[in-house]
Amino acid sequence: MVFSSLIFIYFFLPIVLVSYYLTPRKYKNIVLLLSGLFFYAWGEPVYVLMMLFTTAVDYTAGRVIDRYDSIQKIRRLALIGSIVINLGILFVFKYSGFAAGIIGLDMSPLPLPVGISFYTFQSMSYTIDMYMRKIKVQKSFVSYAAYVTLFPQIVAGPIVRYEDVQNEIDSRSINSVMLGEGVGIFIKGLVKKVILANNIGMLWTEIKALNYGELSAATAWLGILAFTFQIYYDFSGYSDMAVGLGKMLGFNFPENFRHPYISRSISEFWRRWHITLGSWFKSYVYIPLGGNRHGMAKTLRNLVVVWALTGLWHGASWNFIVWGLYFGVLIIAERLFLGKVLAKVNPIISTVYTFLLVVIGWVFFDTDTIGDAFRYLGAMFGGGNGLFDSMAWFDIKNYAVLFLMCAIGSTELIHNLTVSVYRSRRHGRLFVGLVPVMQAGLMIVCTAFLVDASYNPFLYFRF
Amino acid sequence: MKRKKQRMISGIMFMVIIIAAPLVFIFSKKSIFSAEENRPLAKMPGLSFSAIADKRYMNDMARYLSDNFPGRIKWVKSKMLMDRMVGRSVINDIYLGDDMLIERLKEPDYPEVARSVNAIGNYASHYHTKTYFMLAPTSAGIYEDKLPGSAPQLDQKKFIDETVSSMKSGVDVINIYDTLRPLKDEYIYYRTDHHWTSLGAYYAYRQASSMLGFSPIDLDKFQVETVSKDFGGTFYKKCFYDGVKKDSIDIYTYPEGSKVLEVAVNDGGETSSADDIYFRDYLKGSDKYCVFLGNNRAYTGIRTDNNNKKRILVIKDSYANSFVPFLVNHYQQIDVIDLRYIKNSIKDYVDPNSYDQTLFLYNASTFAEDTNVKTAGFF
Repeated sequence: MVFSSLIFIYFFLPIVLVSYYLTPRKYKNIVLLLSGLFFYAWGEPVYVLMMLFTTAVDYTAGRVIDRYDSIQKIRRLALIGSIVINLGILFVFKYSGFAAGIIGLDMSPLPLPVGISFYTFQSMSYTIDMYMRKIKVQKSFVSYAAYVTLFPQIVAGPIVRYEDVQNEIDSRSINSVMLGEGVGIFIKGLVKKVILANNIGMLWTEIKALNYGELSAATAWLGILAFTFQIYYDFSGYSDMAVGLGKMLGFNFPENFRHPYISRSISEFWRRWHITLGSWFKSYVYIPLGGNRHGMAKTLRNLVVVWALTGLWHGASWNFIVWGLYFGVLIIAERLFLGKVLAKVNPIISTVYTFLLVVIGWVFFDTDTIGDAFRYLGAMFGGGNGLFDSMAWFDIKNYAVLFLMCAIGSTELIHNLTVSVYRSRRHGRLFVGLVPVMQAGLMIVCTAFLVDASYNPFLYFRF
Repeated sequence: MKRKKQRMISGIMFMVIIIAAPLVFIFSKKSIFSAEENRPLAKMPGLSFSAIADKRYMNDMARYLSDNFPGRIKWVKSKMLMDRMVGRSVINDIYLGDDMLIERLKEPDYPEVARSVNAIGNYASHYHTKTYFMLAPTSAGIYEDKLPGSAPQLDQKKFIDETVSSMKSGVDVINIYDTLRPLKDEYIYYRTDHHWTSLGAYYAYRQASSMLGFSPIDLDKFQVETVSKDFGGTFYKKCFYDGVKKDSIDIYTYPEGSKVLEVAVNDGGETSSADDIYFRDYLKGSDKYCVFLGNNRAYTGIRTDNNNKKRILVIKDSYANSFVPFLVNHYQQIDVIDLRYIKNSIKDYVDPNSYDQTLFLYNASTFAEDTNVKTAGFF
């Protein structure tokens, strides 16, 4: 089930919220667990069992690490066992087809269980932190399983570490102010996904399917810019919805995106984009490898490892590895010398520099092969069908408003405006009534978009 | 403080909306058919272990809920209105053109087209029947000038030329593109539907006559009866754009011509008979083009009081439905086959050897992707 669907918003959510609010505090985690299992099983009726297995493994590992606190050997065995099982399952489902291809075997890839990359990382954070003695053990299986299956975050993040919610999982305050705050964030995410991402994505879908040799530079740029906004609004919209739902249930999840497209360096971009993934890799890969404390050579090695893995985490293909390493190289360059330059130049130049490099990165991310990526880049720089054609003009006319909305939404403009209106004595009061009305309006618009997606005229159109 | 109050109101607003909507859903009347989409709406799925394991249940449930969402078509219409407000001039692959809706042509499925062309050639050499091929342009091929500014469109004329030139020599091609193109200012295509009008079909008939070997009836000899003035066709239902005038449907009859004696229809079961070649009941519904020969079906047989013994087999898509009525005046027997509805072989319905002539009549848009034409070459 995805959040941006009629069945989630108008059937699953009301039932879950009402029963959650009506259930006595003591039993709320049971409601969470049941709703999480139902939510996950709706998309993966078979693999839900595998997810429960992973959960049980990590729960047990946590208990063992806690129980044998003084016997290092057992603690380590429990940790290694948990990591091997977690990564083993992830490898089999996500990477075995790719790995087999590299050594020359032809193996059709297994269907990827929904959210496996997310919940594996989430659940692993628990055992690793248990091992590092950063957190207290969770003795209740229901509470631990409720954390792993927490439906707002199980399929697409943010990657909520156990550490982030360890207090809230056992005792949290649930109130109408937090519900309303969550509603605001949820609707913001819904708008991002349904109105912006899905619609600008249509342009990319169209252009991506064309022959790259025949694209004009303008069309190619429009296409990849459309994807640039699509992936941002899709992903950050989903994260917003997750954070909003979390608040409705009484959880404060970490922020996952913070206006990444206004960054002034690639390093800054990655501190603003998919923040929970970056910090996961930092905590569990980069720092254990030694981070930057063992000389330049080791630091560079660690960066390359982290960025290759970051690429690979996004998917099993060379494109993702190249995409990850591309950022690794840029970040190394910024660390060595570029960063100092960027700090000095006009912020417009450093923002444009960052944005363009990120956009070029998306070409590798979303084309099918490395060859396609270079052909597409070729078209962007005039190697296709010239610089401009009538198709580009038509697309500009059709998508100008949407591009404008996407561009404004990428900046801090709306955020700053809201804050200043709330602060102002005169208009603040007006907002108390106006904001809920606007939110209801946006929800109605999103509903129209969702209903439209089911409109399927003429299954047998020609007949 | 202000923010707190706003959040409390937002929370209540949200809960009211998400609780009210499913209640309205539960108590609203569900329909089983969507006239706008010409398809049955999803029904409540049955629960079973296997349906859950392979996710059929979940997908069907999601479809049931969205298909029956209260006020569904109104939601869809308002979404499309918003699309237009932000400057979209193409909705669901329909260009909102200059007083005409025009489909955005899809890239033809060339290997499939080659198989279709080949099958028609094989048909012609296998059976003892003179075989003709008419590939009609659609409005997309005739009215590029009515597209919204600089809209990309595939070249349909080129597709027609390439397709007919690859046809084997045993098949006589009836070229009507060059006939219809100069008549583009006349009402030869519906503005809101993917078919040609009766007038367009008449011009195609007049062009075909010399090759098929009869002399056509002059246009002014026909009585024209306008049977509908508010026909919103298939294109309209894809975009709900009211800026283009609705269509009218005309029926052309030649009073002194041959009379239809019998209409036999069969859609895979028993053959039954119909009253007329015009199915006026459809005029009350949404899919008004079906007034011509009714809904598409596997076999339609028309016997007239013309005793010239001439027999023609028309293998076709729906473009033929408004074309066939003109043939009534020149044949004793007109049999019509729609390959899309034939499960096994056309020989379950007709013997191609028993016809003087066979006419393959398709529009270029269907022909570019139809996967059923090749079955004409299965013997």
